[in-house]
Amino acid sequence: MSALLSVTDAHVAYGKVEAVRSVSLEVGQNQIVTIVGANGAGKTTLLSAIMGILPLKGRVAFAGQDLARLDIEDRVAMGLGLVPEHRELFVTMNVEDNLQLGAFRIERNKAKASMERVYSLFPRLKERRKQFAGTLSGGEQQMLAMGRALMGEPKLLMLDEPSLGLAPIIVADIFRIVTELRAAGVSVLLVEQNAQAALKIADQAYVMELGEFVLSGRASDIAANERVAASYLGFQHEGESVI
Amino acid sequence: MNTTIMLFLVQDGITNGAIYALLGLALVLVFAVTRVILIPQGEFVTYGALTYASLAAGQMPGTAKLALALGIGAFAFDLFVARNALHGRLIVRSALTNIVLPAIVLALTVYFAAQKPPVAISIALSLVIVAMIGLYLYRVAFQPLAHTSVLVLLIASVGVHLALQGLGLLFFGAEGQRGPAVLSGAFTAGSLRFTGQSLTVYSITIAFIVALWLFFGLTLYGKALRATAVNRLGARLVGIRTTLSGQIAFLLASVIGALSGIMIVPITTLYYDSGFLIGLKGFVAAIIGGLVSYPLTAVAALVVGLVEAFSSFYASNYKEVIVFMLLIPVLLLRSLAAPAVEEEKD
Repeated sequence: MSALLSVTDAHVAYGKVEAVRSVSLEVGQNQIVTIVGANGAGKTTLLSAIMGILPLKGRVAFAGQDLARLDIEDRVAMGLGLVPEHRELFVTMNVEDNLQLGAFRIERNKAKASMERVYSLFPRLKERRKQFAGTLSGGEQQMLAMGRALMGEPKLLMLDEPSLGLAPIIVADIFRIVTELRAAGVSVLLVEQNAQAALKIADQAYVMELGEFVLSGRASDIAANERVAASYLGFQHEGESVI
Repeated sequence: MNTTIMLFLVQDGITNGAIYALLGLALVLVFAVTRVILIPQGEFVTYGALTYASLAAGQMPGTAKLALALGIGAFAFDLFVARNALHGRLIVRSALTNIVLPAIVLALTVYFAAQKPPVAISIALSLVIVAMIGLYLYRVAFQPLAHTSVLVLLIASVGVHLALQGLGLLFFGAEGQRGPAVLSGAFTAGSLRFTGQSLTVYSITIAFIVALWLFFGLTLYGKALRATAVNRLGARLVGIRTTLSGQIAFLLASVIGALSGIMIVPITTLYYDSGFLIGLKGFVAAIIGGLVSYPLTAVAALVVGLVEAFSSFYASNYKEVIVFMLLIPVLLLRSLAAPAVEEEKD
């Protein structure tokens, strides 16, 4: 079976500075793939480039189609969704309008059913549906951003640091929902600094450092890797020096 | 000053204020969605007014030809942008909206201009012609610059304004024109005399504001337009094309401009360059609204209209000066309220 998303030899540059160098990755159907790495490793840059927000050199194919000439909006219509780090909500509009707009490219009658699904995933959003998005708490905003992206019925949802700045209990909730998405047939590409949590739910993992993938493989193997454990999981094996 | 004069001035001020309100709302809308400060708004007013007046007088307005010329330009832009991935459907769709539509309207205009059409047909044709000009202008002049800074867009906007004004002189000549009243007749209530035309202005303004409110509050496209104004990247990430929002905004702005012109021209003689000053007063209202607030803009527009009416009575030579001086305390207050102005984000 061919991969849902495949990125081959991707380079992304800000002017002359290459933030992502020669990166290749694959996300299969019904998979959670995570990219872990420190702040500034180029993870967000890579996601933005896959979405078409930043120009990318190299090849990106989604569902067998080359994305090179497609705008962000076309990629959305193909089933590629991004929940960006800063969420980019419509803060002066209410929760329901935000969700409704998430289904801008979807038929009206389907959108109704999608909204019910999103509300059942995030009951908190239903309680707050007439409230302005800007007045929600950080966790609720993250849920709304994910909900809005899900309204577009993505085949692949890319999540950029969904746990950033949220309370542990909400983080757990969000990670649980990510695994539920996989069960519902949505593939997920998850970028996280919280490597421990991400590796626990992911199938495949890539470790990114200074714009390059330094390690990749099954998430459980990566989690067991000593170097990763030392650098990203916050504990050291005895008697070993770290880098 | 007696009450009668005061009531007259208030009535006059509200009539003008209502029109400034429409223009101010259009400016706020276009700026919020596309970041373009729409200087040519005034030209939409004159084009609408003078096209209507010309048609009513049985003359052929040049604006219909301009619409076709701009449409051909827009078609060329569409083809150029899609040159690597041309397919039949795209070409046909672009040709239909950019060439066939203005060609049909041009033919209708030629046909009707020859036989002094009824008011309703003149209004409809004028609105459609100016709406098309607005739409194609966005495609030709602003869409290719959509990613640039507010300053670049402003320069383009000034350029378009000058070009349209020059073409206005070419189309309509240096003579002023007046159009027939949309609604003739009048009635008196106490010492006040309401003409059919001023009632038309009130009712159309109110109807349009209600329609806009419903459009933005209830329809998916209206919400999409608001979403683009609130967060451009967020809007793109749900699949709302910035160009679609820009087109709708320009379409609304040009229709509002033309409609305002059609409402004014039976009251005041308009020249090819009168629109600029009228548009600027809408702009004053929009600035008082901070280029973001619709209700504040509408209220400010009424204030502008009233100040103008009273100053034209007391100090008619200084009428414009007084109106534009309104801006100074507002800008001062705003700059005090927000001392650190954030640089443009995108």
